[in-house]
Amino acid sequence: MIIRKKYLFYVLAITSSFIAAAVTGIDSFVGGQSAFKYDPWAFAFSLFFVGAIVTLIISLVLTVKIKGKSLGAKILDPSFRQLRLIKKSETKYHLVAGLMNAINTVGYCAIVSTIQDPSVILSFSQIVILYLLLMESITEKDVPTLVEVQSSVIVTFGAILASISLTGQFQLFPILIVFIVVNPTWAVFSIYQRKLKLMKINNKPNDSINIRFWNVVFSCLFTVILLFIFDLFTSGGHLIAGITAVINPFYFLLLALTMSTTFFSYVLYIRSLGMGKASVNNAIRASTIIFAIPFSILLLHLGIITEFSTDPVMLIIKVIGMILIVLGIISFALTVVKAYIFVTVKPGRPLRETMQKLWNVRGVTHVTITTGKHDFIVKVSTRTLVKGYERIIRKLDEIDEIKKYHWESVLKDWEKI
Amino acid sequence: MISAYILITMLPGKTDKAIKDMRQLNNVAKISIIAGEYDIVVRAQVKNLEELLNVTDKIQMIEGVTKTTTQIIEKEISLQ
Repeated sequence: MIIRKKYLFYVLAITSSFIAAAVTGIDSFVGGQSAFKYDPWAFAFSLFFVGAIVTLIISLVLTVKIKGKSLGAKILDPSFRQLRLIKKSETKYHLVAGLMNAINTVGYCAIVSTIQDPSVILSFSQIVILYLLLMESITEKDVPTLVEVQSSVIVTFGAILASISLTGQFQLFPILIVFIVVNPTWAVFSIYQRKLKLMKINNKPNDSINIRFWNVVFSCLFTVILLFIFDLFTSGGHLIAGITAVINPFYFLLLALTMSTTFFSYVLYIRSLGMGKASVNNAIRASTIIFAIPFSILLLHLGIITEFSTDPVMLIIKVIGMILIVLGIISFALTVVKAYIFVTVKPGRPLRETMQKLWNVRGVTHVTITTGKHDFIVKVSTRTLVKGYERIIRKLDEIDEIKKYHWESVLKDWEKI
Repeated sequence: MISAYILITMLPGKTDKAIKDMRQLNNVAKISIIAGEYDIVVRAQVKNLEELLNVTDKIQMIEGVTKTTTQIIEKEISLQ
C-alpha cells in the first residue's frame, strides 16, 4: 500500500504516545504497590528483568512467518525479518542507549512511586524537546530553524499547561528528577535510537523490533550493574528486593502487562524516529499529555488516585495547553519544503568525491549517483525556501565539479509502507 | 535489488488519475509530484532489469504520460 509518508509518520508517533499514556497509567498502579512504592531502584530492575523476558517472547512470536513474511513485518515494521544478534557497528549505539534508558527508568520509577496521577507525571518531561533541539544542532546535519524552535516552544509550554496537576499542586522533587535525570537521558536515548534506526543492516533498513529487544537487554544489564554498585556502597538491598518482587506471581503479571504494552509503544516510536527528527517526534509525543487525562480519570474511578479538581480555572488552563500542543504539531507538519535537485558534473571529475561534497550540504537527505541524463539526483528537505537558497543552493554553487543543476520542488509525495 | 528513478513528463490535467494508477503498481516505492522540467518522480525497486522494463512499460501505458527518463541508482547515501 502506498500512502503519504507524513501521514504514516504522524500516525506512528501519535499511536505510540497514546499507548505511552496507557503505560503511564499502568505504571502508576504498579508503582503504588508496596514492593515498589519506596524503592524505585527495585522497580526499575523488575521492569527491565520482566521486560527482557516479555520482549523476547513477543519478538519470537513476531518472527513467525505467514506467507513468507514475518508477523512483525506485517503488523509493526516492514523491515523486520527475525530476531538477530547485533552487529559490531551497532554495539556502541546500543551501549549508550541502554545506559541512558536504565538511568532514565530509575528516575521515572522514582517519580511514579511518589506521584500517582499520570497527567502530572508526564508534565515537565516535555521540555526534553528543547534539550533535543540543542543536541540535534550539534549531532545532526540540520540545525533547527526558527519555525522548529517556535513550534517546539509552543508544544512545550502547551504540554506544561495541559499537564498542570489536577490538584493544583507543585512538587519540587519530581520536577528536579525530570530536569536533571529524565530529560537529558531521554534526549541522548532518542538520538541514539534514531541513529540505530537509520543504520543499514545487510544493506536493508534496521528494524525497530530488534532495536527495542536489544535495548531492553542492555538496559537490564546496566540496571543490574548500577544497582549492584549502589547496593555495595550503601549496603542496601535494592537488587534483592527487585528479585524478590519479580518472583511474586502477582507482581510478575503486572510488570509483564506494563512491559508488553511498553514494547508496542517503543517499537512505533523507534519506527517514527526513522522517519523524522527526534525533536519533532517528541513534540508529537507531547500529545501523550492529552491522552493521559482519560487514564487519570479512569484511575480516579478505580480509586487509585483520590483527588480530582473540577476548578474551572484549572480546566481552562488545561484546555489552553491542549490547543497549544495541537497548534504546535500542525505548525511542524505544514512547514516542510522538499525538493529534488538534478545535478550534472563536469567531465572527468570524480563522482565519489562529489557525492561526499553533496552529502555534506546541510538539508540534503538523499544523494544518489545515477546512470542517464543526470549524474546525481539529490533530495533535500528544508523548513523554508529562503533557507533552501541560503543553505543549499549557495553551497552547491561552491562545488567546483558541478556543471549544472536544477531544483524541482516536491508538491506532494507518497511512499510504500 | 536495483533501484531507479523514473522521471515522468505529463500532459496537463492528467496527473491525478495517473498517480492513482501508479499507486497500484507493485514495484513502486515512492511517488512525488514535482514542479519543473518533470511532473512526477517515481522510485522503483526491482529485482532485475527485466522487472524495471515491466515497470517503465506499465508507466508509459498510463494515460497522459508523454515521456519517461529512467535513471538507475548506482550508489546511494541516505538519512533514512
